[in-house]
Amino acid sequence: MKTPPAQITLQEWASRYDSLKQQGLQERFYGGPLSRHVADGDTRLLHLKLDNSAAALGLWNFLLSENQRLHQYRSNGGKIIAAMKDLGTVPVMAGSLENLTTFYPDGAWWTPCIMEQNEGLFELAARYGLDESYCPVRAMIAAFMNEEHFPKPDAVISSTGAICDDFSAIAQRLEHLGFAIHWWEIPHRRKPDGNESAVTLPGGFTAPASQVRFVRQQLATVRKQLEKVAEQTVTDAMLSEGIRKANRFRQLLDRVRQLAYTAAIAPIGSLEMLIAEMLALHFCSDYTEAMIVLEDFLQEIEHRIAANTGIAPASAARVFWVNPVADLRAMNLLEDCGGRVCGTEYLFSHALDLIPEDIHPMEALAQIALADPMVGSTLDRAQRILRDIRRFGAEGVIISRIPGASHCAYEGKLIGAAIRNAIDLPVIEIEVPTLSDAAEPSIRTRMEALIETILQRRTS
Amino acid sequence: MITLGIDAGSRAIKVVLFDAVNQTILASAVCDQGVNQQQKAHDLYQQVLKDTQLNNSDIAAGIATGYGRHLLDFCDTTVTEISCHAAGVRYHLPEGATIIDIGGQDSKLIRLNGDGKVRDFVMNDRCAAGTGRFLEVVSQRLDVSLEELGPYAQRSTNPAQISSMCVVFAETEIIGLLANGQSLENIIAGVQRSIAKRLVAMAGNDIAAPVVFTGGVALVSGMKETFEELLQQAIALCPQPQFTGALGAAILAAQKKQKETNE
Repeated sequence: MKTPPAQITLQEWASRYDSLKQQGLQERFYGGPLSRHVADGDTRLLHLKLDNSAAALGLWNFLLSENQRLHQYRSNGGKIIAAMKDLGTVPVMAGSLENLTTFYPDGAWWTPCIMEQNEGLFELAARYGLDESYCPVRAMIAAFMNEEHFPKPDAVISSTGAICDDFSAIAQRLEHLGFAIHWWEIPHRRKPDGNESAVTLPGGFTAPASQVRFVRQQLATVRKQLEKVAEQTVTDAMLSEGIRKANRFRQLLDRVRQLAYTAAIAPIGSLEMLIAEMLALHFCSDYTEAMIVLEDFLQEIEHRIAANTGIAPASAARVFWVNPVADLRAMNLLEDCGGRVCGTEYLFSHALDLIPEDIHPMEALAQIALADPMVGSTLDRAQRILRDIRRFGAEGVIISRIPGASHCAYEGKLIGAAIRNAIDLPVIEIEVPTLSDAAEPSIRTRMEALIETILQRRTS
Repeated sequence: MITLGIDAGSRAIKVVLFDAVNQTILASAVCDQGVNQQQKAHDLYQQVLKDTQLNNSDIAAGIATGYGRHLLDFCDTTVTEISCHAAGVRYHLPEGATIIDIGGQDSKLIRLNGDGKVRDFVMNDRCAAGTGRFLEVVSQRLDVSLEELGPYAQRSTNPAQISSMCVVFAETEIIGLLANGQSLENIIAGVQRSIAKRLVAMAGNDIAAPVVFTGGVALVSGMKETFEELLQQAIALCPQPQFTGALGAAILAAQKKQKETNE
């Protein structure tokens, strides 16, 4: 008999793993019991509730083995690109080349959470002048310096311009510390003036054609940089194929989101959905494996929906989640409190949108770069969120905030007001620090109150 | 049917026994919060039972609310203080459309539907700047008791500007104001205004009348008037505002029990 879906502890995963192995579980080269990651220092896993499926096991193992894969990639002769800030364009370009892989050093902001601050990244960042008044992304600079969490990249590429102040300061400091950065500018996306020709971007935002042209020129410099590192030319045909590959992943992820967020019973937890969505950024440095992991994940979701089972009762409050959390435990709290996630906007919706395939690939990449929710106005972002709230039928909204993160310090209030004004849903804002144990009662109260409110509104 | 409501807040524990048949409050009691929250809440509950000559078996159901709610395993279930305050206000002032609730470490603005259920709410951030804790800090720093804060504020001729959004920084500002010779009256009035302004800003423009003020801070004289001045409307003070959450918990316990019985 198939084990019913559940969210289980790491300790429970030990026997679950044995059981799956006995049932003939086949794993990829990065497979193995989850407990080995704790032995490597990822102790936060001990405080999370993890989905009990083999697909989730594969997802977690894939995520937590990226560093080893990057080292392996290099030892196999590949070149490694660190793509910073822009979340959804450069990895697509780099993925067009056979001997390049991209990783996302900004992702190191989760390392102090996963390792429960025993790895010393924040302390090291403070020694370089980036104290706790900065966004947790400051952990990235320490990871660059100690090379314990990702290998030294062959090239660093970062967007600049309409990016958050913290990241700008952190990236500039990195360059001063000797890491040459190839900068490309992304302008603040604005609405076209009346006499300007306008371009509708993927996802529905609009921008002046002149801005798209400008970004295209900027991305041309990125293209040259990638060619230099790869020591080969990137043809338009290669870029088009890179876009098609990315779109195959994005289509798969869209199917996952559509099913998971609209099913009558939540088939999978918000934590695993967060991890799955994050794969869209750079495929966790391995496109082929990312596709396999996501296909397995989708299959599990489809099975559960067909069996009418899941990890939360059908009555669970349907919550839309805005912004990623610094502490992954906060995602578990949602289900603990009686909710389920029904839609998300984690600041990278342009990495989920399909890249146009019927126009010149550089034009398409420029459009997707400008579709970044972080380079436009907050109200633009709110409109996108509203659209997805309606798409997924959410009944309430959680807007999480990251201490020290400048891009979302005030955005939450504006987004919350826009949602209330447009569709009168209850909205809460929570601040989730890297390790939220001490703040948990306060966060829990807000989540429970939101869920009670949603349930009361159902009967009002 | 008699039900129990316990509000284990950050500053105080409140207990209410509610007679669901006659819709009356049988008893209420309060004590300071402490390290051993569960024991303190249990002791207070037992004291109330003793005072009313009731036994545990007389209590049909109990709900715990407040920050310590999950520690109170002698209650049947937990409900957040947002829902409980709504139920408590509904009991006293059913016409209420908006609730201002300021407790020891939280401030909330709760919007109600026509049936008294929660439509939406906003809460303070993690900082205690807009809460009762802020008043306690000020009271200690200025050596003025909580009961005297109101009369002091009423004598103010020019409330001081307290700009900080953080209790620690605000305390620094108060020290600066004292050093500049500012009167206690103006400082205290400034603090009360800063708490009220913070909550009003948090709520945006969506504050429908009638507004009901509840929570422990509603007992601090001068706060209601400060809100009235800022909102330019009359505000109703909830009777026994400190007990609104516990009362609501007891009412919700009765409703839950009744529903279970009917099922």
